[in-house]
Amino acid sequence: MLIKTENLWKTYNMGGEELHALRGVTFCIDKGEYVAIMGPSGSGKSTLMNLIGCLDTPSKGTYQLNGRQVASMNDDELAFIRNKEIGFVFQTFNLLPRATALHNVELPLIYNGTTAETRIDLAKRALEMVDLADRMMHRPNQLSGGQRQRVAIARALVNNPSLILADEPTGNLDTKTGVEIMGVFDRLHEAGNTIIIVTHEHDVAQYANRIVHIRDGQIEREESGRKRAA
Amino acid sequence: MRQFIESVKIALAALWANKLRTTLTLIGMIIGVATIIAIVSLITGMNQYVAAEIDQLGATTFIVDKEGIITSEETWWERMKRKKLTVEDMNEVAAGCQGCEYVGGREMTMRKVKAGNRYVNDVFIMGSTANYPQIVNFEIEQGHYPTEADNEHRRPVAFIGYDIIDELFPGMSHIGKTITISGQEYSVIGNGKRRGSTLGNSHDNYVIIPLSTFEKQFGQRRSLDIFVKARSFEGIASAQDEVRMTMRARHKLKYADADDFEIFTAGDIMSMWENFSRGAFIVMIGISSISLIVGGIVIMNIMLVSVTERTREIGIRKAIGARKASVMWQFLSEALTLSVLGGAVGILGGIAVGQGLSALSGIPMGIEIWSIVAGILVSGGIGTVFGVYPAMKAARLDPIEALRYE
Ligand SMILES: Nc1ncnc2c1ncn2[C@@H]1O[C@H](COP(=O)(O)OP(=O)(O)O)[C@@H](O)[C@H]1O
Ligand SMILES: [Mg+2]
Repeated sequence: MLIKTENLWKTYNMGGEELHALRGVTFCIDKGEYVAIMGPSGSGKSTLMNLIGCLDTPSKGTYQLNGRQVASMNDDELAFIRNKEIGFVFQTFNLLPRATALHNVELPLIYNGTTAETRIDLAKRALEMVDLADRMMHRPNQLSGGQRQRVAIARALVNNPSLILADEPTGNLDTKTGVEIMGVFDRLHEAGNTIIIVTHEHDVAQYANRIVHIRDGQIEREESGRKRAA
Repeated sequence: MRQFIESVKIALAALWANKLRTTLTLIGMIIGVATIIAIVSLITGMNQYVAAEIDQLGATTFIVDKEGIITSEETWWERMKRKKLTVEDMNEVAAGCQGCEYVGGREMTMRKVKAGNRYVNDVFIMGSTANYPQIVNFEIEQGHYPTEADNEHRRPVAFIGYDIIDELFPGMSHIGKTITISGQEYSVIGNGKRRGSTLGNSHDNYVIIPLSTFEKQFGQRRSLDIFVKARSFEGIASAQDEVRMTMRARHKLKYADADDFEIFTAGDIMSMWENFSRGAFIVMIGISSISLIVGGIVIMNIMLVSVTERTREIGIRKAIGARKASVMWQFLSEALTLSVLGGAVGILGGIAVGQGLSALSGIPMGIEIWSIVAGILVSGGIGTVFGVYPAMKAARLDPIEALRYE
């Protein structure tokens, strides 16, 4: 079992008033799964994603990633986990604007002491996997939205993480480009990666083989996705 | 280390992208470091100059005169009222001093010097005893210095400096020629080696005549400067005591009275200079530390702006695994790069300013390695101190909030 959460709560204090973004989420994800988390805006999808991605710690509950208890880790330990175990893909791409595609993809490797040579090698390979080998020296503003998201996916892959997390990865893309990006995730899944994507679009969720619906910070129901054949 | 080089590269790229802002940011740092370098260079140069002048006077030589080294207006007024020193004083000093090898004297005035239809204004006319060159390491190039006999017979002979040769006898021989000073004709008997100029003052702008000839033409109202060369360096103090006793007796001073003449050595001039240069150092530290602190605050400010502008970048870096220390280090090395860059420009600027001032004033200039090292260390130190707060702010950012920042 890759992920095991038990009764996760996240509570924000909004000027004295408590806002429960998550109210006891319990679920498990196995290695190699492709899971979509679906729900309306404000239902707590991103909050859950941030907890799974170790960007944040829960107010209550436990979270085991790869058998390690994460909920009680300090900032540096979390940074280590994020670097080694997790690859993030964001809705707004979040690339460094002044850096080339290659350098953006290299970045996670800089923070774990990989030598420059290996770094460039691995970054090139990751860019090849998303079909961007010919755009390595382009900066984000020289790339289309779809290409930027592919650079971000390459960055998420480069460290060979246990888990790829994507929070509304097609939210800023047109439908056609969105389909292309979902195709990339499909390929990554077929290559053995574990993927969790957050979306509020029904079509997008259908790519996953398991769909978790959440509402008001709680899991409402689960269904299996009718994963489209290519 | 690798990460540091990485950070410096990133920093330099960011600085290069914002050339104007970088320049403005670094002005304080540049001025601060440039001040250190320029003043240290000039003081070093002055030290060499003063040392050379003192070397000229000689370590065993001391001077007895009416005014001494004047350090304030009051002492000047007071000392102006003193009895003048005379040739008789000099002769008595010479007679009563076991520890003195040579006792000589000189008087000076400034006059116009003519030869034919050529002339030089404001020439130092010096009347001196024949032993003066032995006392002050004066080097003769051609002919001879006015002798004992010249002095005795008040002969109108002149020993001249190179400025006079250049102006009055360009390209021709000067020995045996006649020059005129205030209507009196002198025959040229020799000249000194060329000595060049410092602080814009030429050391070759002189005519030396026998002391008695000087007093005959220009009168006896000037006070004589008595120059004494002691027999040994160890013997300076006792030679000075002998001279002091003779002079006090001649001026009929009582036991409790203070000296009404001054005795000083090259070393005294040196220590006066050292006092002055110490003052200049303090002023320098004042000026440069103010501009360095201002420079540091500006760097801190610009780093805070940079941290805010790049909040999202920090969020991205944290999300993909940068630890607090990495982020801290990145921004600290940017501040360091920025300030050391300012320091380096300041060093070049300081050398340029020093060289400019040196060219204008004639003060020689000496670049001191330690001042360059100090410039780099100080600017780096300032960058580190003022960079810590912005870097800490960056390191402490919450990744989620940073990522959400617009
Ligand atoms: N940092 C925060 N401070 C306060 N409230 C927050 C914070 N982050 C999220 N929330 C609140 O938590 C709820 C869930 O938010 P989020 O997980 O972003 O929803 P989703 O991603 O499903 O749209 C929302 O009501 C949101 O306003
Ligand atoms: Mg969201």
